[in-house]
Amino acid sequence: MPTDQLSTTFAALADPTRRAILARLASGEASVMKLAEPFNMTLPAISKHLKVLERAGLITRGRDAQWRPCKLEVGPLKDVADWVNHYRRFWEESFDRLDEYLRELKTKEKQNDRKQHKK
Amino acid sequence: MTVSSTKSNVAANTATPDLVITRFFDAPRELVWKVWTEPEHLMRWWGPKDFTSPVCKIDLRVGGKYLYCMRSPEGQEFWSTGVYREIVPPERLVVTDSFADKDGNVVPASDYGLGDDFPLELQVTVTFEEHQGKTKMTLHHSGIPAGEIREMTEAGWNQSFDKLGESLK
Repeated sequence: MPTDQLSTTFAALADPTRRAILARLASGEASVMKLAEPFNMTLPAISKHLKVLERAGLITRGRDAQWRPCKLEVGPLKDVADWVNHYRRFWEESFDRLDEYLRELKTKEKQNDRKQHKK
Repeated sequence: MTVSSTKSNVAANTATPDLVITRFFDAPRELVWKVWTEPEHLMRWWGPKDFTSPVCKIDLRVGGKYLYCMRSPEGQEFWSTGVYREIVPPERLVVTDSFADKDGNVVPASDYGLGDDFPLELQVTVTFEEHQGKTKMTLHHSGIPAGEIREMTEAGWNQSFDKLGESLK
């Protein structure tokens, strides 16, 4: 995924209305009219948000000229989540090694104690 | 902080909750503190499985910098740097976190293939609590973009969203 696509995705997500629209679409396809209901916004304003989401590849619109239902596309969201997962994996795997290393240190300490006792 | 605030507006807007990781270690917290703050110890565990940590420099004082390098099994190097913001041994450590080059200069995340909007600077807070010789370590990594998306996915909006949740794992 080219970085400019990721930037486009982030720009699209950086708006509470657009995130709410995505949340709504997670439960299924919906028309612009339906999507506009919870917001105190005009249809053109909602359409503008939908265009941003569509450009970012976060939603697609149906072919039917009359109602063109909006559908959530998970691809770009997955790329975004991958970032966070990348960090999570980094920490979790580092801490697995840290855990092992601490065990090693403690074993060494015990061995040193024993040696000192013998002397 | 002025650098990141101009560069990361978009990211800041989507970055609400921190990435939080809690771990328990069977060791006193003085020891856990030590392996976090002394290079020869940190190099032994820094980085994912099968990575090595060939370079680790630490100037442990508020305002001091660190420079870490980790190398993937394929030989790709990832350098990171930051500044110590808070040092309360053996309880609390707060550092900034940025991508770097091998000379310790901060570089944009795009140098490592991440997006242009990725903030130049994140923040890592680690706290250590001791309970009967064991240490509870809590890590907060803040400023990672898309925190909101993570929260949305983790909360699992509703049943029909499960499928998306699965695909994000």
